[in-house]
Amino acid sequence: MTTEPSAFRQMTDAGLLAAAAAGSHAGFAEIVSRHYQPVYRLVWRMTNGGADAEDVAQEAFVKLWKNPAQVREAGALKGWLMRVAANAVVDRSRKPRAGALEEAPEVIDPTARPDAPLARAQAARLVDRRIAELPERQRLALSLVYFEGMTNIEAAAVLEVSVDALESLLARARRGLKDSLSAEWRDLLGGLAETGQ
Amino acid sequence: MEQDNNRSEERELRAVLAQASQPQLPAGAADRLMARIAAEPQAGRVIAFAPRAKAQRPFWRYAAAVPLAASLALGVWLGANGRMDFMMPNAVTGGVALNDDTPVDDLGGVGAAYAEESTT
Repeated sequence: MTTEPSAFRQMTDAGLLAAAAAGSHAGFAEIVSRHYQPVYRLVWRMTNGGADAEDVAQEAFVKLWKNPAQVREAGALKGWLMRVAANAVVDRSRKPRAGALEEAPEVIDPTARPDAPLARAQAARLVDRRIAELPERQRLALSLVYFEGMTNIEAAAVLEVSVDALESLLARARRGLKDSLSAEWRDLLGGLAETGQ
Repeated sequence: MEQDNNRSEERELRAVLAQASQPQLPAGAADRLMARIAAEPQAGRVIAFAPRAKAQRPFWRYAAAVPLAASLALGVWLGANGRMDFMMPNAVTGGVALNDDTPVDDLGGVGAAYAEESTT
């Protein structure tokens, strides 16, 4: 008996993992549709927008497919994928990258006035760059909590540290980011007010 | 007061971070991943236990057998030719044990009693 793809959409992660363990590609495709986007976003941020972000994010899912039973708590599947992806990033960070934000030339808007609030794209680029300059673990903590909306407890589990240690990483990340953006901080907030957000 | 400051800082930080890029999955990324998955075999669910490597036994381990074997051979030889009989208990090596021609009463005396009865 085969399960309809629509039935997988109703399943919990635990059910999908069981289906994947039984070799169901449709069940695994549902896991991919649920979790690929956040895993990719995390990897993108961790690799500073590197060209190999997709490959690294894929690695986490391939590892899961090979042995779905290695996820002990199905409820924490997203966290497991995040952890595996983050570890893959750390492994790859030892190799030279191509096309990362750090090496990409900065695009300067010729129409921009020096005293004008930062343009949206320029502001995004600046914030991305400053985040990319944070130490790896601080960047990971910041990404999990502020960009992926994880609780401190969930993020601490991904990083395999205590909640206190995670809060310390977050505090250092906040301070580091604020220091590195101190010159543009008001502009960034002003640009925000201008866009009406 | 401090809490208010913290909240204000947190709000500002979130506002600044909201301006960061929001990367989206490249087009066709999920299809590419599923194509890769289709080509990847799953790990078998039977755990293969590799046989434990046989431990190398050192040669000197057998050296202890040599004096033991020699001791056994000497014991057999001495026992066979009777040279050490003087050390053995008399009951084993004495005339009674070896040369007594008296029939053995396997019945523990019952035989003798029976013989006496039959003569009367």
